Amino acid sequence: MCSPTLISRKNFLRAGLVLAATPLLRYAPALAATADTSEVAPGVFVHQGRYEVQSPQNGGDIANASFVVGSEGVAVIDTSGSAKLGAELRDAIRAVTNKPIKYVINTHMHPDHVFGNAAFKQDDPTFVGHYKLASALGTRKDSYLAANEQMIGKDAFAGSEIILPNLGIKEPTKLDLGDRELLLEPQVTAHTNNDLIVTDSKTNTLFLGDLLFSVHVPTIDGSIKGWLAVLDQIGKRKTARVVPGHGPKTMELPEAIEPEQRYLATIADDVRRQIAEGKSLAEATKTAGFSEKDAWKLFDQYHVRNVTAAFAELEWE
Amino acid sequence: MHQSLTNVTRACGAAAIALSILVLPATSANADEGLWPILKEQAFGDRVIRENDGMVVLEAPQKIDDAALVPLTVRIPPHVKGQLKSLSLFIDNNPDPKVATLHYGPAAGQGGERNFSTRVRVDNFSKARAVLELEDGSLHMATKFLSAAGGCAAMQAKDPEADATGIGKTIVRTFSPALSTNPIWSGQVMIKHPNDNGMQLDINTAKFIPARYVKEMTVKRDGELVFKMDATFSISTNPNIRFTFANGEKNALDVSIVDTDGTKFEGPGEKNTKGFYSAASESSSAETSLLE
Repeated sequence: MCSPTLISRKNFLRAGLVLAATPLLRYAPALAATADTSEVAPGVFVHQGRYEVQSPQNGGDIANASFVVGSEGVAVIDTSGSAKLGAELRDAIRAVTNKPIKYVINTHMHPDHVFGNAAFKQDDPTFVGHYKLASALGTRKDSYLAANEQMIGKDAFAGSEIILPNLGIKEPTKLDLGDRELLLEPQVTAHTNNDLIVTDSKTNTLFLGDLLFSVHVPTIDGSIKGWLAVLDQIGKRKTARVVPGHGPKTMELPEAIEPEQRYLATIADDVRRQIAEGKSLAEATKTAGFSEKDAWKLFDQYHVRNVTAAFAELEWE
Repeated sequence: MHQSLTNVTRACGAAAIALSILVLPATSANADEGLWPILKEQAFGDRVIRENDGMVVLEAPQKIDDAALVPLTVRIPPHVKGQLKSLSLFIDNNPDPKVATLHYGPAAGQGGERNFSTRVRVDNFSKARAVLELEDGSLHMATKFLSAAGGCAAMQAKDPEADATGIGKTIVRTFSPALSTNPIWSGQVMIKHPNDNGMQLDINTAKFIPARYVKEMTVKRDGELVFKMDATFSISTNPNIRFTFANGEKNALDVSIVDTDGTKFEGPGEKNTKGFYSAASESSSAETSLLE
């Protein structure tokens, strides 16, 4: 991301380019104010977020965001962490196609995946999510807005808002993009209580959202048991590639999910043993899962929280 | 991934209102003490509270990772002898700063290291306080600064549906010490209960989810009172407490819990098993049914 002072100048230059070369626009290379995306399969584009916590320096660009281009229209899958980043993603889409943006799909509720939605209001798309996404976002709206504005900074966060889905997915559902379909599958409570898996039929690409973390330590905001169960199911799938919510642009099954399965299983095993030994939550947070410390980035930021969540869940078994 | 919880300072609306009501008359108070002078006045009048005199110790994590589930432990060192009268926990900047007060009974024990722990919600950067009242009426306080907050996000359930199922399921455990003759034993009570704080908006109905939380818990050992606890929604979802009690004849714990809806939940006493902490197994977990 470029600094805010440069954006206006580059936008200005870009506007000049638009005027000078409108017919070429769709083939223009990515400019500074355009999200950096790669075409990982025909018509499938992914932008990779950084392995960081939201900050003024990264502007909230910490999660992967994707789009799929069909013959009839475009579907966006996650929109990154601010309206500004959403607009850059939209620019990246407009750099490759002028087809209508029909769907904006959020794989789950977290701010780094949803705050870019605002940039797509102008396209009047159908906003799509798990059927529990609306209530999950509704109850967290104020705290998400306040927390993210604080972490990213007022300017970089300007224009960001929570946009609730107007299509809630309760059963597996297909969205038509013309020459390709997206299959949307709502999951049981796992990473959150509103995880959605999206599959592109044409390229057999699976968008896993934050059901899959790579390099970035996983964060439990739903159910460790549910998540392990969902990963078991994902591991049995045959796909060409998967796109993680945090991690490289694409990965392959089953290797992609193995480190995360090991991480979650290690926590579950350690915590279950400590509960059986009569250990307290405070004691468990000092030791459980620490064998995984060197395997992940941002371990110090999220691991103890994960153990806390796992303990509070598993003590009821 | 979700937002980092280390930088959030914004209190939720309801908290802000509660604070402004309380803050107004406090303008002359020491800024560091915030609301405490008023809270203290309400709870203890003009009685003297001795701070950090070693009679009570409060433990909290240095870095708070989940503001909805912050373990707090109060220890009363072995040099403190005699009956305990009460123990009160406060979190100054929470919507309801009063977390819980335990009124101790004869089965709470006379010596040894007595302790109490639970898990609390922290709405904003705040001091936590434990005020211990001894038999002679003297008050002793320990404080800890809770250096993180989750705003109202801390109040959100991860899985509201899961929390709403099995409400009232209660598990009571006893942990026998290494030496069964040890005068102090420990116990644990956990109850499935959302402990709703009344500040969450249900977007489907556009109404606030009504507050419903555990307000009273009475624990008896062999029929004698260990403590009666008055609690608020500052206690985390699925209230979970650990405590010590005096070694008795059978060491059977009876637990009675009442929530703000007037629903009563009970947990039967359990026989001990042998060995340090070995009692924390299925055989020592008693599940009780909702009496309603």
